[in-house]
Amino acid sequence: MSNLAVLPIIIPLLAGIVAVFFAKKTMAVRIFAQVLTLLNLAVSIGIAFYVIQYGTVTLETGGWAAPYGIILVADPLAIFLVLTTNIIATASVFYAPNSLTHKQEQFYFYTFYFLLISGVSGAFLTGDLFNLFVFFEVLLMASYGLIVLGGEKIQLRESLKYVLLNLFSSMLFVTAIAFLYSVTGTVNMAQLAERIQEVEQTGILTTIGILLFFVFATKGAIFPLYFWMPKSYIVPNSVVSALFGALLTKVGIYSIVRTFTLIFIHNPEVTHELFLWLAALTMIFGVIGALSTNNVKLIIVYNIIPAVGFMLMGIGLFNHDGLAGSVYYLLQDIIIKACLFLMVGALIYVTGTSNLKKMKGLIHHFPLLGWMFFIGGLVLAGIPPFSGFIGKLLLLQGAIQEGRYVIVIIGLLTSLLILLSIMRIFTRGFWGERTELDTGNIQPKRVRGLIIPAFGLLSVCVVLGIGAEWFIPHIETITNQLLDPEIYIDSVLKE
Amino acid sequence: MEILMSILAGILFATAIYNLLQKQLLRIIIGTVLLSHGAHLFILTMGQLKTGKPPIIVEGVEQYTDPLPQALILTSIVISFGVTSLLLVLSYRASKLNESDNMEELRGSEHE
Amino acid sequence: MIYAVFAPLVVTLLIPLISKWKEKIHTGWFLLPIPFLIFLYFIQFAGENFTPKSEVYPWIPSLDISIDFYLDGLSLLFVLLISGIGTLVVLYSIYYLHKSEQLKQFYIYLFLFMFSMLGVVLSDNVFVLYTFWEFTSLSSFLLIGFWHHREGSRYGALKSMLITVFGGLSLLAGFIMLTVISGTTSIQSMIEQTDVIVDHPYFPLLFVFLVLGAFTKSAQFPFHIWLPDAMEAPTPVSAYLHSATMVKAGIFLIARFSPLLGQEPIFFAVISVVGLITLFWASFMAVRQTDLKGILAFSTVSQLGMIMAMLGFGTEAAIFAAVFHILNHATFKGSLFMIAGIVDHETGTRDIRKLGGLMTFMPMSATLAVFGVFSMAGAPLPFLNGFYSKEEFLGATVELNQYTGGFLGFLQEAIPYIAVIGSIFTFVYSMYFFFGTFRGPFKEKELDKKPHEAPVGMLISPTILVLGVILIGLFPNAVNEPFLAHSAEAVFGGDIHAHLKFWHGFETPFIMSLIIVGIGTILAVTRKKWAGVYNIFPRKGFNEVYNFVVDSIENGSKKITETYMTGSLRHYVAFILTAIFLICFSIMIISNGFAFDFSQTADITIPEILVGLVMAIAAIATIFTTSRLGAIITVGVVGYGLSILFVLYRAPDLALTQLIVETVSVALFLLCFKHLPELRKLPSHPGVKSTNSLIAICFGGLMTLIGISAHSTKLFSPISDYFLEQSVPLGGGHNVVNVILVDMRGLDTLFEITVLGIAALAIYGLIKLRHNKGAK
Repeated sequence: MSNLAVLPIIIPLLAGIVAVFFAKKTMAVRIFAQVLTLLNLAVSIGIAFYVIQYGTVTLETGGWAAPYGIILVADPLAIFLVLTTNIIATASVFYAPNSLTHKQEQFYFYTFYFLLISGVSGAFLTGDLFNLFVFFEVLLMASYGLIVLGGEKIQLRESLKYVLLNLFSSMLFVTAIAFLYSVTGTVNMAQLAERIQEVEQTGILTTIGILLFFVFATKGAIFPLYFWMPKSYIVPNSVVSALFGALLTKVGIYSIVRTFTLIFIHNPEVTHELFLWLAALTMIFGVIGALSTNNVKLIIVYNIIPAVGFMLMGIGLFNHDGLAGSVYYLLQDIIIKACLFLMVGALIYVTGTSNLKKMKGLIHHFPLLGWMFFIGGLVLAGIPPFSGFIGKLLLLQGAIQEGRYVIVIIGLLTSLLILLSIMRIFTRGFWGERTELDTGNIQPKRVRGLIIPAFGLLSVCVVLGIGAEWFIPHIETITNQLLDPEIYIDSVLKE
Repeated sequence: MEILMSILAGILFATAIYNLLQKQLLRIIIGTVLLSHGAHLFILTMGQLKTGKPPIIVEGVEQYTDPLPQALILTSIVISFGVTSLLLVLSYRASKLNESDNMEELRGSEHE
Repeated sequence: MIYAVFAPLVVTLLIPLISKWKEKIHTGWFLLPIPFLIFLYFIQFAGENFTPKSEVYPWIPSLDISIDFYLDGLSLLFVLLISGIGTLVVLYSIYYLHKSEQLKQFYIYLFLFMFSMLGVVLSDNVFVLYTFWEFTSLSSFLLIGFWHHREGSRYGALKSMLITVFGGLSLLAGFIMLTVISGTTSIQSMIEQTDVIVDHPYFPLLFVFLVLGAFTKSAQFPFHIWLPDAMEAPTPVSAYLHSATMVKAGIFLIARFSPLLGQEPIFFAVISVVGLITLFWASFMAVRQTDLKGILAFSTVSQLGMIMAMLGFGTEAAIFAAVFHILNHATFKGSLFMIAGIVDHETGTRDIRKLGGLMTFMPMSATLAVFGVFSMAGAPLPFLNGFYSKEEFLGATVELNQYTGGFLGFLQEAIPYIAVIGSIFTFVYSMYFFFGTFRGPFKEKELDKKPHEAPVGMLISPTILVLGVILIGLFPNAVNEPFLAHSAEAVFGGDIHAHLKFWHGFETPFIMSLIIVGIGTILAVTRKKWAGVYNIFPRKGFNEVYNFVVDSIENGSKKITETYMTGSLRHYVAFILTAIFLICFSIMIISNGFAFDFSQTADITIPEILVGLVMAIAAIATIFTTSRLGAIITVGVVGYGLSILFVLYRAPDLALTQLIVETVSVALFLLCFKHLPELRKLPSHPGVKSTNSLIAICFGGLMTLIGISAHSTKLFSPISDYFLEQSVPLGGGHNVVNVILVDMRGLDTLFEITVLGIAALAIYGLIKLRHNKGAK
């Protein structure tokens, strides 16, 4: 059964390649993409159940035993992330036809989309640091393809900055792997963990760890490395923004979780302390950004940043509740961020603008969308009983157990301001007098097609909150495995 | 020699960064190319230099250089090539559309 | 019990269905029975033999969160208020809100509120309580914003939400601290561990967290500013949420935690002082309001302050008086709000300056108002419930004697005086409310329509409340033992038996009452002459602070963000590199990562040095070259130099690949560079140049340092030995690098090719897909 682990990577890879061949037949490629995405979702649900039942699945690719060959590791954390990825992928693929132009669809949107999913899943599943770099490149390259799709003036301008900064961090990544290889003689994560544990992370290793952290932090949009993000995420189509906002930063965070709960864990008073401070700054500056603009899409983009801060906070706390909180937050944030972007896309479609100042009284026309924004805001701000609350509760518990009151206060104020930033959209855009919309360009069928996927994701968030009991045992399993690296090492190296 | 090569790689990094910090798009692209050269040199150096023959198994030869970094560099070279070509076309299109190759003029504002 | 609590929520889901018939039958009629049934359900618990009851339903047991209803005397008082007043408010709203209004939304919000408020007062689990707590804030937000086409409604709604959610989050922090310290999520179990909690070193912080939650919700000074703006809500809402129930949630919270916190001096100092300041300040402010509901809003704030202060005193008499006043306030304030609503409804204005002499037109309303107003003023009349609790309050202020000397002792001495002054103003605004509206000259010109008495249906609810005022006034002991005593005991934590009677003899509290009435009457009669004094304080005061904070959050964040999110790539790269350099370098120093070991290095030979030197020179030359061709040549030199190095370092495959890639790249460069403008010296500030060089040198240096240190700490033998051994037997290839690429690390190669493929597609798309050419 160990071959299972490669399916979430291979299915979208093949689908992406096949989609190239009939990209110009829009209807066919749409249906193909939707079917394949559903298949992939079903497969990842299946693997998730398998992993829950029988434990971590590992696959030695090419039959080369770890640590020599590349190993894929579907441990609970990875597989849950893959599953969540596929949930939002499903919503996006049904949303895409209503959001994109025919031209964009024909110019390989679905191929880029599938390869992005493939790259993201690969990054979650791989147990090899250099292979992680390769998957990073796959997902980045796919994202380059997606971000320039449409080829508008500002789009190209912002893509340029996006590509350049990511290129820089990729090169830094390779270099850091080289340094690490020099010291430890391996690139297999489990063996890295084992060897670094043996020498108790002496000397230069901590510095290399931090260098790696910065590589991931650039992807993860952590202060002060997120400059590339806000503008570049607003230029592409909303469905692309949704995929980016939900997935790309989370891959960075996942990598930090992986490396700093498995490999570089022997000097937490330096490394994890640093994370706490950066987490606080990330939250503050992120939410300040979210309040600084009247561009609805930009508000959502900036809201990615404080969420990342919350996740980093849990890693920095490095105790049971903190990590559990981070993991829960990570999973639910993928969904709610995608959902918010999809909603913003619908909002922009019906109003024809992203400027909040030009919107008013929309609730009279689109009550459902309005209430979805309202609830989305509550989820984001961590108001119970929605999903954001569970993560936040665990994180704050973790922080208070460690006596970290300053970050608790910062976290709470951040939550308040996050709520304010979304409620600004609600009170200014949706409330107010009824105004006549220019309905000429709005196709009701399209609007429905835009709202339904977002609604589906929002429902997942509600279930994740109210039905938290169904998920918390799994979060427990993940957390316990994160706190005990031996489990991961043993499942990979099997000595 | 590794020390000297590290210094050379460091120089490549420094010049790359200096170019990245420039305004003109061309210089920035040159910066990225230098950057990847620097990174590859680092990988090679980190695998130790000249510890034996090239890693092609020949009977009677006991000492080979470390093959793994070479494999990694190969992968990385190809990927960098892909990214660089995309970057080139992208910069060409971006500067044509925006009628400028000066990054300082490509800042943009909030609502467009 | 769970059915009673969740009934309003279930109804919320049904409202969209029943509201379809709203043209024929007002939606309110369908809903009226719900709160009434809840009231009937809970009233059966009341009685002298009442004992607390609890019900537990698991929700998220893994996090120790369960729906854990605990019905003690305090909760009982509140649930009866919520359901009782709720019934009357629904009834009143049927006449108040016309069928053309958005009744569906109104009742959904209202029942959502009812549900969450019941939850707040019944939950024993702190996190469930918090959940309900935030929901009361949110439903209040929606109700205040009900008429959201008005600017004022939107402003008031957002303000109330920001302040109450702020408090809610602070409460959450307090609750989490409590859970972490006590290891339980149940309030009752926490109370059992009082010692552990109050001895915790961070107890003061915990206290502040909890109290902030309570103060914001119950509109205590200086967080009271949201309540007057909340008056934008339809009047039934003001009567219900913003006077009888929701604003008392803070009071409830303090009462609930009294057994835990009550013995601490900090409790007395903070709660009573804030309560008294609120009492004084709000009653003083109420006098100068011109809006009927504005007067009532400030009056509510001041009464809440009074109750809060009594809880702060923590004595038996004070707690009893507090509980009693919660009930009384709900009755008389509820009726007064409804009357204000009637006046608004029938005359079209709530501006007291335009009103007057309405007694002749609206005799019923005026009569009801008399009782409400005098009860609120605490006039010593035996048929007004307000007097009883007021006198208990005054009595409690005189009896304080827990502390001697110091600040607390002084405070104790000062309290009766503050109480009297505050009560005088209460008396003044009560009179002002009544006489300004119903007596005096009738100003016909000021009104848009001719006033007349309200429809009977609208008068039912205030009449029932006023009957409550009178009946409790006449027979105070009827609610005492079966009801109030249990509530007070739940707060006090011990037995309380108070006997209520009108005439206690000629004692201090009564004299205080007489002083209040005397001076109050004089001030009320001569109110106009004092107008200057009332306006001493700036009109806006704390509102200005709120507006300033909100504005500066918005403007400030814009400024801050714009200073660093400049859109300039150079700034971004510079910030990022500086951060990485500073942090990595510090970490390197802290963790002592430096290592220099030259023993394992390869020999230095001349060819390598030469190649390296040429590469270095070429790399540096890229900075200074001013022609496209020069740039290509210098970059090419570095690239080809690298391939020579690969040859020298026994990496033939790399050298070949590098050569090919370099050649293709150069060709690509030539192609693209032709279309890009010629390299040129762009003018830049000398400071910019030196910063650039500094950053570049620092970062390059850092990489070299880490590189050398990493090279000098080779702790393990590399895994490559395995590849060398197994390449031929298992991989079937002599070229180890190739075997690694296509076999051992085949996955890398597969995806490396994928990357190239995507790049090709993306480039194709870039060239072919030119969307709206030239346009934005």
